[in-house]
Amino acid sequence: MKRIFLFILFSFFSIAAAKVRVVTTLADLADFTRQIGGNRVQVDFIVRGDQNPHFVEVKPSYMLKLKSADIFFMIGMELEMWAPQIIDGSRNTKLTVVDLSKNIRKMEVPGRVDASQGDVHRFGNPHYWLDPRNVRPMLEEMLAAISKVSPTDEPYFRANAAAYLKKLDGKIAAWENRMKPFAESRVITFHKSWPYFANWLRLVVADQVEPKPGIPPSPSHTAELIALVRQGGIKAIIVEPFYDASAAAQIARSTNAKVIRLTTSVGGVPQSGKDYITMMDYNIATLAATLR
Amino acid sequence: MQAGSKIWRTGWLMLALCGQHGLAQTSVNPDISVIPRFIIQTHDRAGKFSRPDYAFEELEIVMQAYLNPFSKADVVFTLPGPDLEESKLGIEELYASVVCGLPFGLNLRFGKYRVDYGKLNLAHPHAWPFVTQPLSQERFLGEEGLNDLGLSASVLLPTGNIYTKLTVDLLRGEAIGETTGIADTTGGQPAYANSARLTGFFTLTEHSDLEVGLSGYTGIHDPYQRRRFYYGNVDFKYKYRPSSYNSLVVQGEYLFNSRTAQQDRDFNPLLNAQGNPESRSIHSSGLYLYADYQFKKIYSLGGRYDWSQTPYSKDDKASAVTIFFGYYPVEETLGLRLHYQNTKPAAAESVNFVALQVLFSLGPHKAHPF
Repeated sequence: MKRIFLFILFSFFSIAAAKVRVVTTLADLADFTRQIGGNRVQVDFIVRGDQNPHFVEVKPSYMLKLKSADIFFMIGMELEMWAPQIIDGSRNTKLTVVDLSKNIRKMEVPGRVDASQGDVHRFGNPHYWLDPRNVRPMLEEMLAAISKVSPTDEPYFRANAAAYLKKLDGKIAAWENRMKPFAESRVITFHKSWPYFANWLRLVVADQVEPKPGIPPSPSHTAELIALVRQGGIKAIIVEPFYDASAAAQIARSTNAKVIRLTTSVGGVPQSGKDYITMMDYNIATLAATLR
Repeated sequence: MQAGSKIWRTGWLMLALCGQHGLAQTSVNPDISVIPRFIIQTHDRAGKFSRPDYAFEELEIVMQAYLNPFSKADVVFTLPGPDLEESKLGIEELYASVVCGLPFGLNLRFGKYRVDYGKLNLAHPHAWPFVTQPLSQERFLGEEGLNDLGLSASVLLPTGNIYTKLTVDLLRGEAIGETTGIADTTGGQPAYANSARLTGFFTLTEHSDLEVGLSGYTGIHDPYQRRRFYYGNVDFKYKYRPSSYNSLVVQGEYLFNSRTAQQDRDFNPLLNAQGNPESRSIHSSGLYLYADYQFKKIYSLGGRYDWSQTPYSKDDKASAVTIFFGYYPVEETLGLRLHYQNTKPAAAESVNFVALQVLFSLGPHKAHPF
């Protein structure tokens, strides 16, 4: 009888302590989930910060991660073209898939798309999380989804989200102040990952090292960029950690520009830490030091 | 007049519907991909290479879409070469899959499809890093691979952090008849076949994974005598990918065949030393092993070793050594493969084969999983 009582008690507390299981595509989204859910969520992610989120191999181990998850957060706008295969492969009928781009003001939405334009996304440029002002609508979507799975914890989640957004607002103001002197500065980026970031900080992306999204740099385009960098006095060539920097380095060698590794995701470079704020701290500090 | 007015009304109604749902229509259309392969090839005979032949190899048209929130359908049409104008479009695969909504995470598939048997059988030729099919696959499974009409069920087994999948198939049993058994089944009863595969996927490090598989296949190879054959298959695939610019794949399969036969595949009776017909137990096998190294994102270089007996003979052996090089200038939309193969049959001189394959992929054909 005592054993049965203990078993029932244990089961009750196990259920009460059951965490919301969340899987995200990017490590940044995993950080946001942790900020909202604290110790009442169990979170995992698919794409490491040093991986290109556009091209992820469909591995069974990713399906296994989703198999027992309650929620799957993704950036959407066709950034994660590989995600449907992983979702299907997980066989998880209870999984809630949340596309966080729903309430984002989208940039670079093309009129007509075909492969002649390279890897252009039909619904616009998906790198919106690099403008920290977009974190608020993303967090609202995440909060709603997590609270739906665990309604009793909603006040806890809501308080966490509010505290995080307050902290982020402070950081946004500090980052904007730090970058104010460099408004209208021209930069070159490797891939079209930075329009939201540049728009936020009033930077001008003069061109990309890739002639078209996803198309490897060609010698003629590299020569054009060397001329552009020289004429425009461009100081920074931004390359994500997962791209080969040799073409950018070639441009830098022929000009006064410097190649800097800014990361689009948490953990992209060792200095970028394990959370979004540290990552943005690193990106802002590195860029400001180069543009000075 | 009434009929004419009815046609007009129907026409206007269709136009109105198209106008209203034009955008929605594009979203329910299936994904359509077109993947043709062309080849320039030559081989030697008595030390002299033949004149290089430029030929159309095959066209694959793939259509994929969800039928509803629970199921999907796939159709793969193929137009075989070399005669582009005379050849007929055939159906390589046509199946529907129930991907969610069933108890215990069960997935069902029915129709005609490439059977989940071994590792290479599921991959279409355009996804191979080389040009030719490994000898063991060709000899035991046939040129088209194990592709049959059937019903398939698969479940994920509860094995913790290891992804383990069990697939069981009930098949029509005609898939490999022409290659390894008696194709003419008119006098016999239906020759149903069964296949099963168990796979385990292990994440070794952050950058490397290993998949191992065990498969079995049994069917009737002699519909008159109701004689069965049994295949067993062990396979593995190791992949090391430190970045999106470099990767190493090592993959291999070993296939074992067991059957009792009174005739060989050409209906010739098997004879004993005295010249009398006899029933014979045949155990034979085949294997391939390849490594493919991708570098600078757009190049790949690899080698393959083949060794194989045949389903009806242990003595009919052949081996081959292959070197292949791939160039994919922009992702997988365009590819060039240079292939050299030296094949040594048991009782004949070795043959050298050189080919340059060009292929492109038009449309959103999804990446093949690990």
